Amino acid sequence: MLKGVKLASVLAVASLALAACGSSGDSAESAAPAETAATSSVKVGMAYDQDGKGDGSFNDAAFAGLSKAQTDLGVEIKEVNSGSSATDATREELLTLLADGGYNPVIAVGFAYSTALAAVAPKFPETTFAIVDSVVESPNVGSLVFAAEQGSYLTGVIAATASKSGTIGFIGGMEIDLIKAFEAGYIEGAKSVNPDIKIESKYMGAAGDNTAWNVPEKAKTATDGMIANGADVIYAAAGGSGLGMFQSVKAAADGGATVWAIGVDSDQYTVPALAEYKDIILTSMLKRVDVAVYDVIAAVVDGAPLVGVNNFDLSKDGVGYATSNSAVSEFSGAADAAAEKIKSGEVTVGTTVQ
Amino acid sequence: MTYLKSRRFIGAAFTAITMLSITRTITGNGDLTSTVTIAQALVFASPIALAGLAGIWAERAGVINIGLEGMMILGTFGAGWAGWQWGVWAGVLAGVIFGAIGGLLLAVAAVTFGVDQIIAGTAINLLALGLTKFLAILLFTNAPGGGQAQSPPIKGEIPTFTVESIVEPLTSLHEKGIFFISDLAGILAGLFYNLSLLTIITFLLFVMTSYLLWKTAFGLRLRSAGENPWAADSLGVKVVQFKYAAVVFSGMLAGLGGAYLSIASTIYRNGNTAGRGYIGLATMIFGDWRPGGTAAGALMFGYIDTLRLIDTGNQNVKGLILLGAIILFAIGGIMLRRARRNSAVGFLILGSVMIGAYFSATSFPPEVAQVAPYITTLLVLATASQNLRPPAADGVPYRKGDHH
Repeated sequence: MLKGVKLASVLAVASLALAACGSSGDSAESAAPAETAATSSVKVGMAYDQDGKGDGSFNDAAFAGLSKAQTDLGVEIKEVNSGSSATDATREELLTLLADGGYNPVIAVGFAYSTALAAVAPKFPETTFAIVDSVVESPNVGSLVFAAEQGSYLTGVIAATASKSGTIGFIGGMEIDLIKAFEAGYIEGAKSVNPDIKIESKYMGAAGDNTAWNVPEKAKTATDGMIANGADVIYAAAGGSGLGMFQSVKAAADGGATVWAIGVDSDQYTVPALAEYKDIILTSMLKRVDVAVYDVIAAVVDGAPLVGVNNFDLSKDGVGYATSNSAVSEFSGAADAAAEKIKSGEVTVGTTVQ
Repeated sequence: MTYLKSRRFIGAAFTAITMLSITRTITGNGDLTSTVTIAQALVFASPIALAGLAGIWAERAGVINIGLEGMMILGTFGAGWAGWQWGVWAGVLAGVIFGAIGGLLLAVAAVTFGVDQIIAGTAINLLALGLTKFLAILLFTNAPGGGQAQSPPIKGEIPTFTVESIVEPLTSLHEKGIFFISDLAGILAGLFYNLSLLTIITFLLFVMTSYLLWKTAFGLRLRSAGENPWAADSLGVKVVQFKYAAVVFSGMLAGLGGAYLSIASTIYRNGNTAGRGYIGLATMIFGDWRPGGTAAGALMFGYIDTLRLIDTGNQNVKGLILLGAIILFAIGGIMLRRARRNSAVGFLILGSVMIGAYFSATSFPPEVAQVAPYITTLLVLATASQNLRPPAADGVPYRKGDHH
């Protein structure tokens, strides 16, 4: 009997250890730095939200900036993930861990870190922090925000120009202001081309529902519904759920319909994981998280940290649209003209759906 | 099926279709009973139904299975990994095996060691979550098409069937918009449209469970382990073996539910189960620990999820509000006839509030639809708890020789 109890307790401890390393703070040591000519004493700490790299989208874009800095500037890097069951407390721990470990700058990828960073940043006044997609007021924090509505305006222009049916769709992840700005810009851009255009929008989950980013099968159904209702261009800003949109559009295209998908954050036409869906990805709204992350690191290397609010908009090439699918060239005239109008201030794009 | 039972089943189906038909006629929203809606609802309902069925097996043998979610997660992972390596059927098999391992773990903890079943189940949920994430990083990070949080695509597809000779005439009958007949046609057509072989297997597992657990000596013995294991033991039933078999099979079913999900998404993705294991538990309670009611509960979740997602202009959510009101009025009426005045008044007031909402608001937030199944389950628990009867020794640790 005693033997049994011992075995059970060993199992229990082992399971706790496994659970801990998986769900909160699964830290993945990065591969050895690439061989570079440049070397630097700067150590960059990067904290991803949720499961981090491999989403073919937002987090991968952040990683692209980081690895560019690693190659070009020779910085040392350390990456951690918060995991999907993370709380503000675990996120605080991660940031503290990085700052304590001498990493400077420490970059928090994602709005979910806002509260945690606001608590941690004042404790390390010598460290430069940066946060993507959110504004944290602290003298040593650089807030990297993107004018997603401007980039989405351009995809809206492209969608409305490409649409033959006069109906287009939008798939959102979590229904929060951040994603609503994508929707707002998209709608405004589409209406600037065709004021009578019909736009169908659907979110995969309410604010706080973390599953919203991980349900491709639901995004697929929602897109099926939009296509059945005549939509022929669909834009998704839904993280991992976006795959479902590509599947649905691909299925409709295989069935003989002329339909297009528009990706988000990274240039999804060139993402290897999405190679199967390549031919239906007309363009992607680019949020140059890579540019922002690289700029933050470069600024620290140069000794002039980038703090305060940095708005990466069209004029800074912080947002834009991808041209890697040559099919988009037919519509890029209209999109480029719209971009010029936004840059010159002739058009201002709102961040809330009218 | 006895005469009385089949009459009850036909009566329930008839009532459900009539209510849907009334709603469809008032709202003029054909989506409510269209072929595509029903076909998709089956896809969304199946993983939940399998989780619910898994719950029935474990709890009928007296083991509360809170670990369903974890076993489902293991199933999604197994299917994603093996499906990517060796094709979709290997994925199904691996999902079932991974789920079975989760079930075995619960059986060892709960049956052999008499650990508190809620705690053991919760531990399995945490363990499965952590383990699969860890393994995903290990196995998928550098795989082409994969990532830290998702597997590369599963190879191959599960065959699906569309019986054109049934679907086409019935769909055109659906589009005519005749009261009741068109709705029945749409629903029937939905059952034969893009029907996945896995959905058929799910259905067969329900039929098999009804038969095995309630019509055979094996089932009687298994259920006796959940009702009164001490009495069963005194009659020579090998209680521990039955509990083991039931819990491991429960894990297999939950794993199959997870595999279904991964295959529907064509990949394994962290967090894809999105709490469906817990929803499965809710449908099991909703269904009074019986297959028929559990299937109905799962269909309700699947149906509402589908309507919310294929909604255009929030018309479906509005339709659901009206449907809810009609159902509440119907239950209120039944309560009045049974002279349960207090409950009846409650239902009628709730129904009136929903009718008022339906006619006063032009649109509803889609979240209303998302929470509807949970509210329904709560309502069932609150009002029918007198009639719900879990197995008597559900959750009670059993040790041979002890007596209560």
